[in-house]
Amino acid sequence: MATIAQPQQDAIPTYDEVTRDIAATLGKPKPGYFVLLGIVLVVLLIGAIALMYQVRYGLGVAGYRPPVLWGVYITTFVFWVGIAHSGTLISAILYLFRSAWRTSVYRTAEAMTVFAVMTAGLFPLIHVGRIWYAYWLFPYPNQRQLWVNFKSPLVWDVFAVSTYFTVSTCFLIVGLIPDVAAIRDLATGWRKKLYKLAALSWRGTDQQWRHYTRAYLYLAALATPLVLSVHSVVSWDFAMSIVPGWHATIFAPYFVAGAIYSGVAMVVTLLVPLRKVFNMERYITVRHFENLAKLLLLTGLIVGYAYGVEYFIAWYSGNPFERASFWNRAFGEYWWATWTMILCNGVLPLFLFFKKIRTSIPALFVLSLFVNLGMWFERFVIIVVSLSFEYEPYAMGHYTPSWVEFAILAGSFAWFFMWFLLFAKNFPTVSITEVKEIIPMPRKRRLHE
Amino acid sequence: MDPAGPEPPVAHKGIMTRHAILLAGSLATVSVLAFVIATASGKAQGTPQATTAADTAFEAPEITDTASLEGPRQPIFFRHDVHAGQYLIDCQYCHVNTEVSPKPGIPTVSSCMNCHLVAGTGIAEVDSLRAYDRDGREIEWVEVHDLAQFVHFPHEVHVNAEEEFELVCEDCHGQVDRMAQIYQFGALKMGWCLDCHKEKSEQFDTVVSTDCSVCHY
Amino acid sequence: MNRRRFLKVLGVTGGGGATALSGCSTDNVEKLIPYLVPPENEIPGLATWYASTCRECPAGCGFHVRVREGRAVKVEGNPNSPINQGKLCSRGQAATQGLYNPDRVRAPLSRGDNGFFEPITWDAALARITERLNAVSGDRVWFVTGNEAGAFDSLVSEWLAALGANPSIVYEPFGYEAMRHANRVVFGSDSIPAYDFAAAQYVLSFGADFMDTWLSPVEQTRQFSEGHSYDSGRMGRYVHVEPRMSMTAMSADEWIAPNPGTEGALALGVAHVIVRDRLASVPSDVSRIQTLLDRNDPASVSGVTGVSVATIERLAHEFTAHSSLAVAGGVGAQHDQAHASVAAANILNYVAGNVGNTVTFGADINPSGESSYASVASLVDDMAAGRVAVLFVHGADPAYATPANLGFAAAMRAVEFKVSFSRFLDDTAMEADLVLPDHDPLEQWNDFEPRAGVYTLQQPVMQPVFDTRQTGDVLLALAAQLGGSVAATFTAASYKDYLQARWQRLQRDRRPFDVFWTEALQRGGMWTEPGERAVRLAAGAATVAEGTWPQPSGEQLTLIAYPSPALYDGRGANRPWLQELPDPVTKLTWNSWLEINPVTAERLGIADGEMIEVSSAHRTVTVSAHLYPGIKEDVVAIPMGQGHRWFGRYAGARGVNVLDLLAAEPTEFGGMGHFTAVTLRNTKDYEPAATPAGRSRQMGRGIAQATTLAALAHPEEQHEEEHSEHAAPVPEHIEEVLDEWQEAQYREWKQRGNYAAEDLPRWAMAIDLSKCTGCSACVTACYAENNIPTVGEKLMRRERGMAWLRIERYFEGGGDEPLEVRVLPMMCQHCGNAPCEPVCPVFAAYHTPDGLNAQVYNRCVGTRYCSNNCPYKVRYFNWWDHSNENDAAFSFPDPLHWLLNPDVTVRSKGVMEKCTFCVQRIRGKQNELKLSGESLQDGDVVPACQQTCPANAIVFGDLNDPDSRVRAMATDSERGYHVLGSLNTRPAVTYLKKVTNSAD
Repeated sequence: MATIAQPQQDAIPTYDEVTRDIAATLGKPKPGYFVLLGIVLVVLLIGAIALMYQVRYGLGVAGYRPPVLWGVYITTFVFWVGIAHSGTLISAILYLFRSAWRTSVYRTAEAMTVFAVMTAGLFPLIHVGRIWYAYWLFPYPNQRQLWVNFKSPLVWDVFAVSTYFTVSTCFLIVGLIPDVAAIRDLATGWRKKLYKLAALSWRGTDQQWRHYTRAYLYLAALATPLVLSVHSVVSWDFAMSIVPGWHATIFAPYFVAGAIYSGVAMVVTLLVPLRKVFNMERYITVRHFENLAKLLLLTGLIVGYAYGVEYFIAWYSGNPFERASFWNRAFGEYWWATWTMILCNGVLPLFLFFKKIRTSIPALFVLSLFVNLGMWFERFVIIVVSLSFEYEPYAMGHYTPSWVEFAILAGSFAWFFMWFLLFAKNFPTVSITEVKEIIPMPRKRRLHE
Repeated sequence: MDPAGPEPPVAHKGIMTRHAILLAGSLATVSVLAFVIATASGKAQGTPQATTAADTAFEAPEITDTASLEGPRQPIFFRHDVHAGQYLIDCQYCHVNTEVSPKPGIPTVSSCMNCHLVAGTGIAEVDSLRAYDRDGREIEWVEVHDLAQFVHFPHEVHVNAEEEFELVCEDCHGQVDRMAQIYQFGALKMGWCLDCHKEKSEQFDTVVSTDCSVCHY
Repeated sequence: MNRRRFLKVLGVTGGGGATALSGCSTDNVEKLIPYLVPPENEIPGLATWYASTCRECPAGCGFHVRVREGRAVKVEGNPNSPINQGKLCSRGQAATQGLYNPDRVRAPLSRGDNGFFEPITWDAALARITERLNAVSGDRVWFVTGNEAGAFDSLVSEWLAALGANPSIVYEPFGYEAMRHANRVVFGSDSIPAYDFAAAQYVLSFGADFMDTWLSPVEQTRQFSEGHSYDSGRMGRYVHVEPRMSMTAMSADEWIAPNPGTEGALALGVAHVIVRDRLASVPSDVSRIQTLLDRNDPASVSGVTGVSVATIERLAHEFTAHSSLAVAGGVGAQHDQAHASVAAANILNYVAGNVGNTVTFGADINPSGESSYASVASLVDDMAAGRVAVLFVHGADPAYATPANLGFAAAMRAVEFKVSFSRFLDDTAMEADLVLPDHDPLEQWNDFEPRAGVYTLQQPVMQPVFDTRQTGDVLLALAAQLGGSVAATFTAASYKDYLQARWQRLQRDRRPFDVFWTEALQRGGMWTEPGERAVRLAAGAATVAEGTWPQPSGEQLTLIAYPSPALYDGRGANRPWLQELPDPVTKLTWNSWLEINPVTAERLGIADGEMIEVSSAHRTVTVSAHLYPGIKEDVVAIPMGQGHRWFGRYAGARGVNVLDLLAAEPTEFGGMGHFTAVTLRNTKDYEPAATPAGRSRQMGRGIAQATTLAALAHPEEQHEEEHSEHAAPVPEHIEEVLDEWQEAQYREWKQRGNYAAEDLPRWAMAIDLSKCTGCSACVTACYAENNIPTVGEKLMRRERGMAWLRIERYFEGGGDEPLEVRVLPMMCQHCGNAPCEPVCPVFAAYHTPDGLNAQVYNRCVGTRYCSNNCPYKVRYFNWWDHSNENDAAFSFPDPLHWLLNPDVTVRSKGVMEKCTFCVQRIRGKQNELKLSGESLQDGDVVPACQQTCPANAIVFGDLNDPDSRVRAMATDSERGYHVLGSLNTRPAVTYLKKVTNSAD
């Protein structure tokens, strides 16, 4: 088992090497880091201004054109929720399955999950017409004696996303404890205070270890069903409606697969540069990437299959509205979006059948970017294209996003990367503890020789 | 509000109660909070003590410090406690349209002058009233009971519900005949309306509508 | 009461008007302003109704004006009026937007030395006119008015006569010169007879758009739907002959497109066949025109018109088989040969024996007549030659409504002193030296005589909004100032006195005058039945129809300038409601367009929305192309109504004025020729059309369904059901589940609210598509009733219009098979199993106990899920804050917000809204009944759309009431259907299939 994720055979790091190497990533940032951070903050600012503009003058500033009343915002919401998923998958499910190769990548994935949910959570707010009343979507006792409509998938969303955020955040924080403790002992100044706090006065006693592993196990068990449930609920936003192209039973599994697919892609997108910058080649090896690639391939095939099923059912159902809707997807005004999606999500991942591609990090990086693009377009196609071509021919219309929507979309990426950059420089992006766990004991090592 | 769990909403009672039960536990704490809020906001809505025979001999007090009075200051210091309390003038003598119109409105200057052509000479406020009448200026009363424009309150229906539901002016407007200056007595909040509608429903074992679109359209 | 005062009085409502816009906060301090003295019969919070007359066009329909807190908020048809019988068209509904138009002239203006207008006092203004009139001799004074038959007309004539001035020129851009000319020659009477569309089972129209603008559209629509619509196995047949399919023609069972300008020949051809085959008992004196008829045998007529001989023969037989009516007019009566067309139609009616039956002289339309376009043309010559010293203009805008080549505006500049009485700064007023704004028709005393024997009254329903003065009073004041003989002619102190004096002469009975007067005021006027006049064929009949029919003009296309159904001759262009009303035919808004047949467009390489340079012999205009299958291939058309140079923010510099393309010379019959030859050049610039219409084909989805009379007559033989693929039968068990579910709902509702009824009502609507003409009056009525904001052209391009009720227009056939147009009013279907309700997270969209699908604006958060899930797409989102005066999208510039209905919430930004079935009227009625203790009767609640529908196509009521009309229609197994019923939405709106009476 240990061999799966064994760092390059030649140089198996010792325990203190591990601590040193990983702690080194928290050292003084190079100027490049600040440049990057600066760019991110500027983009974020632009997004924020666009949002304020929209709140002041109303959603008219966005490109909405009836009958398309959900556009880029909901698309991006689903996109980010999807991204979140692989994190939990890698950290929780693989943990339960005891697949050791996760150790050096799961921290990154987990962090990504939390930040992705934080990003996703913003979009329902950005999307609603009266953001200042958005809190009405939460069930709370009020003098109006009004309640929320538990029949509405949107309310389910509220619960799904907030639960997901809470659990994944706990998971991340708990997982950090021993590592933070390790760094705490090296750190100085305000950071020391921060780590002290985060480490919850961890001393590494047996008892603490016992509690820690238990807690981590339980949280993993708690998080696992969420991987399936959250995105299923999100998919029901669509499946529960009667919009042709939305109203399909396949949606839950289809969305979950898609979510993990996009999430893994995003993990790759993040890991590749991270590995380079922090020269983690010893810990994040090609084997890791190949495993991720296999996951990518698997989910990619599921997604591709789902596309096929969608079209088949549309035809097989004999429902003229469904048929028309899907015909319109492929050959209507939005054909370009549909084919972009099919190319990026359905065709390109097939290259992963070749070990050459699976093991070539640059290739994987490029591919992961395409998948991210494709998955965004998948949501765009499902949401916008279906809405633009519903039941009433007289009320069909074409929607093109406005600059406000693009600014906010860009802002959301900035928001996500801002958190990730801050995290990467202040917390170990590779788990010190778990990496050590899979390194053979020194004595054993001697015996090996 | 019931501390065990939040009051199920008027709308969709059936579904809601189920959920209320489901959530009662998880929301108990919140509800306690809500209970506090409710009682706090409930301060406004005391029940008026009925006027007994003794009160009929009520004499409006001399007011020296108008600044201390509750409610907004009006262009003319018109005293309901004098008119309605001391002289026992019926509300609808001045507020003529309350029974017929959804918007009761307020008396015209001319109807004030019915009496004040002669009555009240020498009282400063009456003189200023006459001044208004003389120069044909309108009196800009400050609206005390101000409903949002998305609430449609059929005043005439409520006034006419007196027999059917034992509803009297005081229930919403308070003891106007004891107010030197009119202030908002009822909370005029949605929950406040609903409480009464439910109360009356139970009291008279009928359905006083609690449907949203009775008021909101 | 002045304006300041007005806005304050609004405070009494505590909502509506200015305060309505201040939004939803209960914190802002409202002021309550009592009346000083209570105005009689006016109670704050309750509506008062006044009878008056619509002056938006010469039809003279009766009004009832709803007044709240001293301001007119809505107009509705006067049920007592013999003309419109309680119905109104879009233009009538928009009358209040004339009253509250932000671009009204708010005080008298005079042109200063710098050439700009500056305010002037009334006295100074009158003094200037008096001085002028004293200076010049009477014969150099001219007065141009619109059609204002009645007291004002006679006052002007008397006034001019007293001055020794020329008789006034009564100018209507769409006058009836051709008809009068033709009637004179054929029947020896130049009056316009009454046409009875109700009695005619067969209507043959030669270009007469009798439901858009021609004569009395509302009345004729009502009659037509009576006579034509399907009713228990019987219906009329209507054939329309015109190169372009107008809104009226959309209702035709058959549309025949002859060569432009040759309708008359076809009429003669049909007459020929009738006489030849003795199909009707032909009057003996037809011999007078025998030679004429002989020359127009089907063969030669076919050659001229391009209509097959067989068709002509068929028409002749159909025409005589039933009680029939042939009408020629409208656009058909606007080309050079129009008089011939009308004459031919007259002859056709005569030989078929319709004269005296469906065509009766006596109750003549506009008996006092109007001047011809020719007289305007000669006036222009006089003005240009400096023979005119003083020019008065009232109720007409000749500078706009005449061909540019006539040069009316230019000629006006040669006149020393021009006075306009216009309420707006229109193109004519902008040329004037003095603008003395008249009262709005809703602010003035007046009367009108739309037809012989019908005298309608106008009374001021509210205080004047601005510092305006009624022109009648101005003229009287002038007369007094002029003194001498002029002053002597007038005894009346005010125009009201003058009016009453006139009515004293009208009074027939012996009662005291004030009794008669009050009664007339309440009724809205006085109606008498003038005796019928028999007419014979005049000697010269043969001569006039001697039309030299135009030949198809080769490469050149024929342009038709037709009156816009919404803007008429342009006088409606400054009403945002009318600008935003999708044209019933093209569904375009806020602009001009060029209608061109797709085939022609392809030949010329023109795509929809491309800017086309249209050049006639006279001018060139650039306008965007609209591909329209309902127009002949060698014909193009541009609607009139746009292209004002001034006329306020809504009309000014918008679109093109098609009259610019027309010839200035009057036609043979003294009218304006509305046809001209044009050539097109594609500039390749593209401008997206401002239209709410997505696709104009149904894609076989059975939205607007139709059947034929034959099919209904023989249901046993299975006609292949169109859209059968969509009539997917709902499985039994699903029906059961739905029923149970609804039972549960019902029990739950009973707990929530009872609406003064033991059994909760289930409000429902039924719409008879065999009646609906697509006129869109209901749309404007809905705007007026429900405070719907207008969004303007830019937003209409994004389909962001807010109309709760839209008329969907679909094309069927076309190409080789005959083109059929179907219209369908689409509003919230108030589904019993509404998809929008369960998805709303906050119960803003929910079902009321009485079966309404309610939308609680103040609860709406704006997730817009409801609209996504609405298969009918009838929910409209407030993208902007149309009610905030600080926003660009503000829709109610002062004083336009005065017409906001205080009973309806003004929606703010970010909330969803939709048709409510006029819930405010339902609740109002229910509260009323609570007080009176009575129970609800069928027809007690009438939503705005049903109230105004001229065709009586809409019926509203309680589905649970077994004897309600709506119940009867909803259970019509023969024609009733639900749009997209296979989705199990259980709509409350039932549509009755359109029926076409196709040729047998």
